[in-house]
Amino acid sequence: MIELHNIVKSYLVAGEDLVVLKDIHLTIEQGEFVAIMGPSGSGKSTLMNIIGCLDKPTSGEYHLQKKLVSDYNEKELAGVRNQSIGFVFQQFQLLPRLTALQNVELPMIYAGIGKKERIERAEDALDKVGLKDRMNHLPNELSGGQKQRVAIARSIVNEPSIILADEPTGALDTKTGEQIMDMFTLLNKEGTTVILVTHEAEVASYAERTVFVRDGELTSADEVVGHEALEKLRTKHDSAEQNNERGNFVNLEDVFEETETDDGTKGEEEATH
Amino acid sequence: MSIFESIKMAFSSLFAHKLRSILTMLGIIIGVGSVIAVVAIGQGGEAVLKSMFSGEANTIELMYMPSDEEIEADPSILYEDAFTQTDIDMIESIPEIEKVVSSSTESTNVRYQQESTESMVIGINQAYIDVHGLEIAHGRNLVAADFLGGSRAAIVSEEMKDELFEDGEEKDASELLGTVVYMNNQPIEIVGILEAEDNFFGLSMNSAYIPMNTWQTVFADTAITEVSIKANSADELEIAGEKAAAMLNTFHEKDDAYQILNMEEIADGIGKITRIMTIIISSIAGVSLLVGGIGVMNIMLVSVTERTREIGVRMSLGATRGQILFQFLVEAMTLTLIGGLIGMALGSGTALLVSHFAGWQPLVSLPVIVGGILFSMLIGVVFGLLPANKASRLDPIESLRYE
Repeated sequence: MIELHNIVKSYLVAGEDLVVLKDIHLTIEQGEFVAIMGPSGSGKSTLMNIIGCLDKPTSGEYHLQKKLVSDYNEKELAGVRNQSIGFVFQQFQLLPRLTALQNVELPMIYAGIGKKERIERAEDALDKVGLKDRMNHLPNELSGGQKQRVAIARSIVNEPSIILADEPTGALDTKTGEQIMDMFTLLNKEGTTVILVTHEAEVASYAERTVFVRDGELTSADEVVGHEALEKLRTKHDSAEQNNERGNFVNLEDVFEETETDDGTKGEEEATH
Repeated sequence: MSIFESIKMAFSSLFAHKLRSILTMLGIIIGVGSVIAVVAIGQGGEAVLKSMFSGEANTIELMYMPSDEEIEADPSILYEDAFTQTDIDMIESIPEIEKVVSSSTESTNVRYQQESTESMVIGINQAYIDVHGLEIAHGRNLVAADFLGGSRAAIVSEEMKDELFEDGEEKDASELLGTVVYMNNQPIEIVGILEAEDNFFGLSMNSAYIPMNTWQTVFADTAITEVSIKANSADELEIAGEKAAAMLNTFHEKDDAYQILNMEEIADGIGKITRIMTIIISSIAGVSLLVGGIGVMNIMLVSVTERTREIGVRMSLGATRGQILFQFLVEAMTLTLIGGLIGMALGSGTALLVSHFAGWQPLVSLPVIVGGILFSMLIGVVFGLLPANKASRLDPIESLRYE
């Protein structure tokens, strides 16, 4: 569970305080799927960095799983990032010299897990995103969608309770983006809290709840995007999801098998950067 | 994260930039290589010099060195003969002494027909040949009969032969045997020619050896200039020398004019000189290591900048600042360690090659090798610390955004 109280973040720029986040209050329950929306420069990325323990608020209290994050030292914060949070970035952020498998192994190296178990678990995670057959490829041998799937495998390999995705579809075409979003939906169904940062209503509509950030403040939805439009998008996805679901059991592989067979070809194209 | 993982990571990132890594290592390779070569060659040379000065065949030299007080009291003391045959006979009676080697040297004119040369003529006793051995290339050595009878026979060096006979028609060396030359205007027959000396320092002399009795007749001089003794065993050498010196001092009523040449002091002196030379050359090599270390630091700083995003990613995945610091430190250390190992191989190879050609004992000692390895690792730590620290201080958010 994530609880933010009176979170303020300001930077000292040219001798003046630039306030990026003003008095944010936000509670996200375990298992929620939340989108944080807002235009560029609204402070949504800063908010995400604070939730992800990459940044510290100037003031205010952040409780992560009932624990005050400001009490943690550097090393403990690294531990939180390693164990409790999985990051997915717009630019995938895979290490170019490492294979897909080695990239997925990384969080486990820092968790101090032995080689044998690492490889097993990394293979399982890649299997889950449907890329087991490409695990020995370098990132530049993978398409944009495949790269993001490797990044998702890396984010879930330590079984975190929260996945933070910063514009995860921003560098992908619409179709591939949809596949990635379906994947987050399924991960959320398995109980993982998914927090999505985006400026696209289409992407935000996958979430159960959308939070809007404008000028460093949380605002109501209508000011940013037509509420009705959003509701319409949401119902559309919901019905699509129900079509995907077979009983209660959901498997990520099914999503990819389906999309790939639907197209008859590879479901993704190389994203432009 | 285990050390093994860090080393593996370091290798893979060094391997990704092979040329850069090799060029960076070069400074360390040259530095470590030259230190090891210089120290090994220095120690080999020192051993050779010491063995040269500590006297061949376990001998110790007796010296006639009147002290300043004695010279002041009686200046004529300087003109007295250092040693006489009586002295030799006397110290031969000391039980610890096996042989007393005596020789006298005079520089004089040696003439053959129209040719003449300035040469060292050395009078020797039989013990001299027994102890030092003269390597004869042609003819015969001096034998007991020559010494007892004081025969006018000489063994000449290759150089003297060349000086005296080079202008004449090319003669076979053996044909020169039996030729009579004039030393200090006294006829002497050449009975043997020495093996051409071919030592490392190129010290070959124009010289002739004749029996001591003959020398005393030729130069009308009873003085013996050099005396050295050979003891029954190496352990007794010092005692034998001291006994001989004491006996001579007592006999000649001197305080301390007769002394033994203290080999240890000389050896220490030589050691000091070679050590100083080693230090000087090693400091130059040290400068090369310093420059190499700066090169490592430079390339590591470049690497940190290049890999800013990687550092950001690693931090977001849960790497602590300590782990990032360690990773880059291990990388710098791996770089210098590999450089050190290559340098060591090259340095040892050079030292072995030099000692092979100089005919020395190869002296690449274990402490030097271990020291070299540790030192190259230390360079990695020292010069890797700044870049590694820079890497660990990066802000993960900024780093993730870095293009």
